[in-house]
Amino acid sequence: MLANVNRRSLEAGKEHMAERPSSPAIALLLAVLLVAPAACGGEVAPGTSVRVRAAVTGDEGTLNPYTYVSGFPGWNLLMLQYDSLMQLDKSGVPRPWLASEVRVNADLTEYSVTLVEGVTWHDGRPLTTRDVAFSVDYYLNNAEASRFARDLMDVQDVVVTDDYNATFVLSDPSAGFEMSALADVPIIPRHIWESVESPSEHQFEGGTNIGTGPYRLIEYVEGRSYRFEANADYFMGAPAVDELVVIVFADDAGVQTAIRTGEIDVIFERIPPEQIDLLDAQDPLDIALGPEFTTQMINYDASKRPFDDVTVRRAINLAMDRQDIVDTVFLGAATVGSPGWIHPGHPSYNPDIVAIYDPVAANSLLEEAGYLDSDGDGVREFDGQPMSFEIITNSPDSLRLRIAELTAEMLAAIGIRTSVAAVETGTWEQAVWPGFDVNNGRNYDIAMWGWSAPVQADPLRLPQLVTSVPVGGFLNLTGYENAEMDALSGTLGTESDPAERNRILGRMQEIIAEDLPFVLLLYPDGAYVYDSSVYSDWEFIAGQGIVSKLSLLPPSARP
Amino acid sequence: MRRRFDIRRLTQYGVVVVVAVTLNFLLPRLMPGSPLTLIAGVDVGLLSADQRAEIMARVGLDAALWKQYLRYWGDIFTGDFGYSFRSSRPIVDMIWDRLPWTLLITGLSFIVSAVVGVVLGAISAWRRGTKIDLGMLSGMISIESLPSFWLGMVLISIFAVQWRLLPSSGAVTSASDLVGWAHTWDIVRHAILPAATLSILATPGVYMTMRYSMLETLREDYIRTARAKGADERRVLFGHVARNAIAPVVTVLALRLGFAFGGTVIVETVFSYPGLGRMVFDAVSGRDYPVMQAAFLVFTAAVLAANLLADLLYPLIDPRTRTS
Repeated sequence: MLANVNRRSLEAGKEHMAERPSSPAIALLLAVLLVAPAACGGEVAPGTSVRVRAAVTGDEGTLNPYTYVSGFPGWNLLMLQYDSLMQLDKSGVPRPWLASEVRVNADLTEYSVTLVEGVTWHDGRPLTTRDVAFSVDYYLNNAEASRFARDLMDVQDVVVTDDYNATFVLSDPSAGFEMSALADVPIIPRHIWESVESPSEHQFEGGTNIGTGPYRLIEYVEGRSYRFEANADYFMGAPAVDELVVIVFADDAGVQTAIRTGEIDVIFERIPPEQIDLLDAQDPLDIALGPEFTTQMINYDASKRPFDDVTVRRAINLAMDRQDIVDTVFLGAATVGSPGWIHPGHPSYNPDIVAIYDPVAANSLLEEAGYLDSDGDGVREFDGQPMSFEIITNSPDSLRLRIAELTAEMLAAIGIRTSVAAVETGTWEQAVWPGFDVNNGRNYDIAMWGWSAPVQADPLRLPQLVTSVPVGGFLNLTGYENAEMDALSGTLGTESDPAERNRILGRMQEIIAEDLPFVLLLYPDGAYVYDSSVYSDWEFIAGQGIVSKLSLLPPSARP
Repeated sequence: MRRRFDIRRLTQYGVVVVVAVTLNFLLPRLMPGSPLTLIAGVDVGLLSADQRAEIMARVGLDAALWKQYLRYWGDIFTGDFGYSFRSSRPIVDMIWDRLPWTLLITGLSFIVSAVVGVVLGAISAWRRGTKIDLGMLSGMISIESLPSFWLGMVLISIFAVQWRLLPSSGAVTSASDLVGWAHTWDIVRHAILPAATLSILATPGVYMTMRYSMLETLREDYIRTARAKGADERRVLFGHVARNAIAPVVTVLALRLGFAFGGTVIVETVFSYPGLGRMVFDAVSGRDYPVMQAAFLVFTAAVLAANLLADLLYPLIDPRTRTS
C-alpha cells in the first residue's frame, strides 16, 4: 500500500530495496568508516537506455489528481502519467490528443470529442468514453481541493454516443473550454476510481496512479524521490527517455549545487537570472530559454484614497522604469511588461499598447491634480496627509524584493515616499488577499504581486482580474471597478467568433492601460538548465516551460 | 522520602508536557497565513467559498479551537496523528520514515562531538594558559559563532563541488538500486557532510563545559593532596580530575541529545537530507498543521526524555547527589 512506499514499490509484487538506514546498516556504520574505501562502487552499469534525473524543490504528494501539491511543477508531473483530451503545443495552443477530433457547436455550448482508438490504461484495459464521462462526474462530485472541478463547473452533462464518441453539454457558452478544461483535466480510469470514496486520503493498494500517460510512477519515497518508468505502449509512441527520476530538494541552492556536481541532469524549476550565465558556462550544461506567462506587478488598493484617483495610478505607471528593472534585477532575462496585462508574445496581445517611462510627465500630472509638496519635505500630500505608504512584499522571493526596492526609489522621484516591508509569504497573502476571497477586502496600500502562468495563458480569464467583484472578478485584488469593463467581460465568454473575441480583448487591454487597476512591470522569462550530455531534446512550451510530456516524447510525436 | 521525590518530579514533568502540548497546538495556529494554499494548491483563489469551506471541514479546521485542541490530545493518546495536508500520507508513517535519518546524523555527531570535546577540553584545562590552551579556546569560540547553513555550504563547496569527493545532497543516491555493502557505503557517503557540520558545531559547547569543569576541579583540595602524595600526572588527570569534572559534561550532553532533533532543521535543509528537521521545515513553510504538531511533539518528547536521562544519570556519576 502507498503508506509503505518507502519499503515497497508501487508496482504490485515488485519489491525494492529498503532505502533507509536498516539496523544492520547502522550497526555496521563505524566498522564501515574504517574499511570504507575498499567497499566503494556499485552503480548499476548504464545500458543504452536514457535515464534522466530531475530536481524539484518540494514534495508533490502521491501525484494523483487529488494529491499533487503545486500548480507547477506538480500538475506537470501529474500529467506525465495521465492524459487530457487535448494537449498544448509548443506555442501554447490546445491540439487534439486523447481526442483525435474536437468539434464545437455555433453557440459554444456543446463540445463533441472522438477518442483515438486503441488507447489503453497502464494496466492494459482499454480507454473508452465511459472513462471520460466518469472522470467528469467524479471530479464534480468530489470537488474538494480539485482544480478540475472548477475547470468543469459549466459541464451539465457528458452524453456518451458510443465507446469513442461523446459530447460535453455546457450550461453556459464557453469559448475557453478547450484551454481551461479539455487541455487541463486528466482523464482517470473508471475501474480504479469508482470505488474510491475519499480521494485525497485514499491509500491505494499496489496499482495506483494508473493513467494512459507516457510514464508510470513505480516508486515514491516521501520527501525524497519519484521514479517514473516509460510506458513503451504509449499511443503517441514510446517515450525517448526510458526512466525519469525526480529528486526532491529542500531549496534552490541545493538544486543548483547538485547540477554542478552532476548529481542531477535537469532542474524542473526556473533558475534565477544570475545563475543563467554561470551555469551555461559550465560544460555540458545548457539553458532552455522561452517566454513564460507569470507576472511581476504593483497592486494598490484602488478603492481608497489616494489610489482611487486614476491620476495617481497613471503617475505611478509613468514613474516606472521597467527596462531598468528588467536589466538590473533580471539581468535582461525578462520581458518588459505591457500596461495592458497581456504578454507581447501572446496571440491576443494588443500591439498599440506600450509602456512609457516619463517621470517628468508623472510629476506634472500629480502637480496639476493638486497633489503638492506644501511643506517642502520632498513628499507630496493628499487630504492633508503625506503620500507615504508601505510596500508589502514576500521575503522568500528575493527578486520581487529587489523590484520593490527599485519601485520605492522610482516613486520617491515623483514625491511618493514608500518603505518596503518584506514579510513571510503567508502574512503577505493574508494582507493582499485575505482568506483568498476578494469579498474579504484588502489590508494593504501598495503590494508587490504576481500571478501564476495559467491566469494569463488563457486570456479568457482576464475578466476574473478586472471586472468588479459582484460580476465575477474573483481575482480582482485591487478593488477596481469600471462599467464598460464589466460589460465587455460579459460578452467575451459568449462570443463565438475568435476575431471578435480578440477585438474585445484588445479593447479591454486599452482600458487596463488607461485605468491601471494594477501596474504590470514585467514577465520573467523561463530559463531551465539541463545536462546536454544526458538528454537535450527539451521542448519549451510558451508559458509553461519544459516540464511536460512533449519534452520526453520523440520529436516526431510532438504536436 | 524517595517516593515523595518521585511524585514531585512526575508532577513537574506532567506540567511541562501539558504546557508544551498546548504550545505545539497553538503556535502553528497563531502564525499568519492559512494551510488552504497547501491543501488546495496554487489555484486556491479560484475555488468558490463553498469549496473552500468544504476543504476546511474535511481536515477539521472548521471546528471550534477547543474542539481541535481536545482532538489533538485524543491523537496523542491514540498515537494517530492523521494525514499530512501536503502528501496525504499518515503522519506516523512519515515520522517513522524520517526518524532513522535524523538519528543517524545526530547520533554520529553526538559521538564525535562528545569525544573530541571532552578530550580537547581536558587537554586545554590541563595546559591552562599555554599556547595550546589559548589556541584551542579561540578556535572553539570562532567555530561556535559560525552559522550552521554557512558551514554546511562551505563544506559542500569544498568536498562536493570542488573536489567531487562526497555528494552534496540527499541520504542515498536516488533510484540507484544499490544493495548490500554498496548501499551501506552510499548511506555513509551521504551522511558524512551533514554529520560533520553538526559535529563541528556541537564540539565547542562540550569543550567549553569540560574545560571549565576541569579548571574548577583542579582547584579542589583533593587534587592538591593527590599531587602532594606524589601521584603521577597522568593518574591525577584521568583518575581524579577528569573523573570528577565529567558530571556537568554529562548533563550538557544529555540535554544536547534532546535538542539535537530540533537543531537539525537548518542542516537537513542545506543538505536536502530527509530527516525530521527537513520535514518540519517543509511543514512550517506550508502550514501543514498536523505534521507540525506531531513533529514538535516528537521534539518535546526528546527534550523531556533527555532531561529525565540527565536526572537519572547524575546520581550514578556523582554519588554526592544520590538521595538517601
